Amino acid sequence: MIVSEDQEARRPMIEVVDLVKHYRAGDGSVVRAVDGISLEVAAGETVGLLGANGAGKTTTLRVLATLLRPTAGTARVAGCDVRDDPIGARRRLGYVSATTGVADRLTAREIMQSYGRLHGMADDVLADRVAGLVSALGLESFADRPAGRLSSGQRQRVSLARALVHDPPALVLDEPTTALDVVGARDLLRLLDRLRTEGHAILLSTHRLHEIEHRCDRFVIIDGGRVVAQGTPAEIVGPHGSLEAAFFAALGTEAAR
Amino acid sequence: MTHPERLAPVPAPADSAPVVPEHSRHALAASILAVAEFQLARLRSPLRLLMAGMGVIFPAAVMLAVRWAAAAIGNGSGENLDAGREITAAIGMDRAMAATMLYALIPEAVCMLGLLVTMCPAVADELERGTWIHVAVRPAGRMALLLGTYLAAVLWTSCVAILAAILAVLVSGVPDPLPLIGVLSGLVILSALGRGALFALPAVILPKRALVASVAVALVVEYMAGFIPAVINQATVSLRLRSLLVAWMGWRYKVPADMRMLVDPQPPWLQVTAVLALSAVLLAVATAILEYRQFPPSEEI
Repeated sequence: MIVSEDQEARRPMIEVVDLVKHYRAGDGSVVRAVDGISLEVAAGETVGLLGANGAGKTTTLRVLATLLRPTAGTARVAGCDVRDDPIGARRRLGYVSATTGVADRLTAREIMQSYGRLHGMADDVLADRVAGLVSALGLESFADRPAGRLSSGQRQRVSLARALVHDPPALVLDEPTTALDVVGARDLLRLLDRLRTEGHAILLSTHRLHEIEHRCDRFVIIDGGRVVAQGTPAEIVGPHGSLEAAFFAALGTEAAR
Repeated sequence: MTHPERLAPVPAPADSAPVVPEHSRHALAASILAVAEFQLARLRSPLRLLMAGMGVIFPAAVMLAVRWAAAAIGNGSGENLDAGREITAAIGMDRAMAATMLYALIPEAVCMLGLLVTMCPAVADELERGTWIHVAVRPAGRMALLLGTYLAAVLWTSCVAILAAILAVLVSGVPDPLPLIGVLSGLVILSALGRGALFALPAVILPKRALVASVAVALVVEYMAGFIPAVINQATVSLRLRSLLVAWMGWRYKVPADMRMLVDPQPPWLQVTAVLALSAVLLAVATAILEYRQFPPSEEI
C-alpha cells in the first residue's frame, strides 16, 4: 500500500478503539469506568479530553500509559498495543499528571537524569538531552535547586521535562494545570503548543475549559465512560457560543439551559 | 521565569537515532541502579539516619548491660568492667553465649527491623508520594522499582547491621573478635538478602498494609515454620542462618541432641546456595505480581 507523506503525518499516534475498563469495587460490585470509548490523536495534534469527575478520563489515560489493563477494546501508542507490547508503548509515551510526584530532595536535573536512566539512556546522550530540556523548557534558573523549594508551576515544568526526557512522540497529560496559577498554567499550555508544532501528539484532559478552548484541534467529551460528543472546535463549540456551553449541552445537564 | 516564546526548540536526537535504546539487560541494570541510588538518597534523611544510629548502638547497649549486670552480680557494683568480664565468663557468658546473643540481636532483630523500614514501603511510598505512575510508565519501571528498592534495602540494612556487629563484639569483650565479626557479617548479608526478598511479597501484594503483613510473615514463616522440624522449615531463611551459625562457629558436635533437629547438617555452601535460590524465587514471584498489579486512581493516597 502506498502511503502519502500527508497520510503518514496524520497517522494516529494515540489510538483508542472501543475501550472498556471495569473495576471490581470494594463491595464486590462492578464499576464500568470506561464503556466503549474510541478516539485518535495524530502527530502534531492536540486533543482535549473533557468530562466531569468520574467520567472515565483518568482511567482512559492510565490505560494508554499501561498503568491499567483494558477489559476489552484496544489502545495503541505509536502503533504499539498497550496489552501486547506495553514496553514499546511506554518507550513512546510521556505522561504528566496533576500530582507532579517530583522528589523534594532531588534537583530538576537529578530528576530528569534518574528517569532517563530508567529508560536505559547512555550517560552522554542523557547529559545532552537534559541540558537541551533545561534550555528548551526554561528551567535554567531553578534546575539545580531541590524540587521541594520550587513553586507549583516550576514543579509541573519539571514534571513535563521528566515526561519528555526520552523524547516520546506521544504525550498524555492528566489535568496538568490543576495546581497551577494563571501564569503557570499559561506558560505550561504555551509549551504544549510548541510541542504540538514540533510534531508531538498530545492528549490533554482538564476541567479548566477556558484554558484550552482555543488551543485544541479537537475535543472529545465523555460522560459515564462513553463519548457523548467529539469534533473540531467549530463542530463542538459552533452552535453554543462557548466551549463551556457546548460541554454542558453534550452532558445534557441543567446548566446547559 | 523565562518567557516560553523565547525558548529554544525542544531538542530532538542529533542524528535522528532513537534516544532510548531497545530494552536490554544493560538498560534493566541501569534502571535498577538508578532506583537503588534514588532510594539510598531517600534513606539519608535525618529520621532514617537516626534509626540507623539506633540500630548500630542497640546491640552494643544490650551487651554492655549484660556485662554490667554480670559485674554487679559478681562484686556488688557495676564499676569494674574487667572484673565483670571474668564474672561474666563464670556465669556462662562465654564466647558461645556471646555469639548466640549477638546472632539473635543482629542478623535476626536488627536485620528484620531494618528491612521492615526499608523494604516494606517499596510500593506504598510511591503510591503515597504520587511517583508510582511516573515510575510505572517507564519500560522496566516496575521491575526496576522493586529490585532497585531491594538492592538499596539490602545495602542499607547490611551496613547498619555490620557496624552494629563490630561495635557489639568489641563491647562484649569476646576474645579474638575478628572471626566472630566475620561470621556475623556473613549472616547479616544472607539475612538481608533472604528476608528482603521475603518482605517483597507483602510489599507488592498488600502495599498499604505491608508493615503489618511483613511482621505476620516474619512471625509465621521465619519464627514458627522455621522451628518446625519438618520439610516446611527447609524453605525458611532462619533454618539456613542457624545452620550456618552452628557450622561457622564449629559447634556441630557441641549442639545438644534435642536441639539438632533445629539445624540442618548440610555443608555451608549448600546453606548459602539455598538462601540465594530462595531469594531469587521470592523476588521473581514478587516481580511477576507487581507487573500484573493495577492500582485504580482511587487507590492512590
